[in-house]
Amino acid sequence: MVERTLYEKYGGFSKISKIVISFYDTLLDNDEVGPFFDHVDMTKMVDHQTKFVASLLGGPASYTDKQLRQLHSHLEITNAHFDELETVLQGALQKHNVAQDDIAVVLAEFGKRRPLIVR
Amino acid sequence: MTIEAINEQLLRAIGVGVALLDRETLRFGFRNDTFEDWFNTETQSSHLQQLFPDLEIETVRKSLFESGRYTSEISFKKKRRTLVIALDFTVAHDDVLVLVCQNITRIKELESMIDSYSMMVERNTRELKREKEQVEKLLLNLMPRSVYEEYKTFGVVTPQLYDPVSVLMLDFVGFTEMVASQDPSVTVTELNDIYSAFDRIGEQFGCERIKTIGDAYITVAGLPDPTPDHAKAIANTAIRFVRYLTRRNLSHPHQWRCRIGLASGSVVGSVVGIQKYVYDIFGPAVNLASRLQEFSEPMQITVQDEVAEVLKDQFDIESVGLKSVRGFEQQEIWRLTDRD
Repeated sequence: MVERTLYEKYGGFSKISKIVISFYDTLLDNDEVGPFFDHVDMTKMVDHQTKFVASLLGGPASYTDKQLRQLHSHLEITNAHFDELETVLQGALQKHNVAQDDIAVVLAEFGKRRPLIVR
Repeated sequence: MTIEAINEQLLRAIGVGVALLDRETLRFGFRNDTFEDWFNTETQSSHLQQLFPDLEIETVRKSLFESGRYTSEISFKKKRRTLVIALDFTVAHDDVLVLVCQNITRIKELESMIDSYSMMVERNTRELKREKEQVEKLLLNLMPRSVYEEYKTFGVVTPQLYDPVSVLMLDFVGFTEMVASQDPSVTVTELNDIYSAFDRIGEQFGCERIKTIGDAYITVAGLPDPTPDHAKAIANTAIRFVRYLTRRNLSHPHQWRCRIGLASGSVVGSVVGIQKYVYDIFGPAVNLASRLQEFSEPMQITVQDEVAEVLKDQFDIESVGLKSVRGFEQQEIWRLTDRD
């Protein structure tokens, strides 16, 4: 049997979509990391967040390390920004009752990408 | 509190933006709190066009004149969030225009999310389809298509008797020495070329390659679909195998020489094994073809009596005489040669 991803465990897209929306809402109101999205078009932004959350939970999206590095190369992202985003992500997962252990797994996945994103 | 006062309170507090305009001048009269919050207008008597510069006033007027209604959507940034608002104008009285605004931002966001998700899923579906095709291609290399279809539908393959068919068994002379003396990877690459050529030749005559075991190559005519000309098909294939090798040897340093045996009879074809399954055939024709091959000198084709009987009229064939064949009765065997 193929191992079940968190994406499947939490009910696929119907549940993940709610996490994405929470994440999106908090992110836009956040004055630390929000400004990165000041000039991003809504469609693009939602697309980005959907893929972001889906890929971290093992859903149907994946970025290679090279893609991630390229996509963030024009942004001045610091460790503080990265930490803040981690908090926002954690908040969104907690709000939707993702188990503590699973949150740790997601955050670990997220953390692995730090060297690709942070300058 | 009077009913009017309650109504006004309600109208102010409701989560829908409401404004009243003068129909002639298109200047705002009343605006409720939600409306003010979204569009935070400063001048009280501003004009519709001032507030919504993108709106085509003439189109609005025309539609209001014709149907008494006009709907549109506008989007703008509030802080860094894109708000999408649906506008709905209705003529209430001759001189009053009601503008109702609904916040459809969330709907638009969800639409984008569904778009994004369906694109991911569609891409994955395409990838799965590609993988499935590759698996299918691989399995089709292991077994005939009809057998594969049966395997796919039922998960098992019933052993099937094919009678009569003709079997060709080919073996290379001195292959073991060649592997030992040459670079093995070169030998295997050449073997691969040759087998691929054999596959193409066999295909032309309706032969189904069953398997290769090292330097032995087995192909069958009359399977899975019965072919009345199976003996001729296998003879034609055998002749072209030899012809191909002869021509190839002229231009290659490594000389590949084969022995071939041909026999007809019945065989049972089936998938054998569970984890590492392979399609194979069993039967006296297979064994006999293998024995007859041993009677061939390099680049010769040895043929069973019954096959020779069929080939006599159209092929060059001569008797080798009565021979004892291991595991079979003593029988007359024949040599098939290329007329060209």
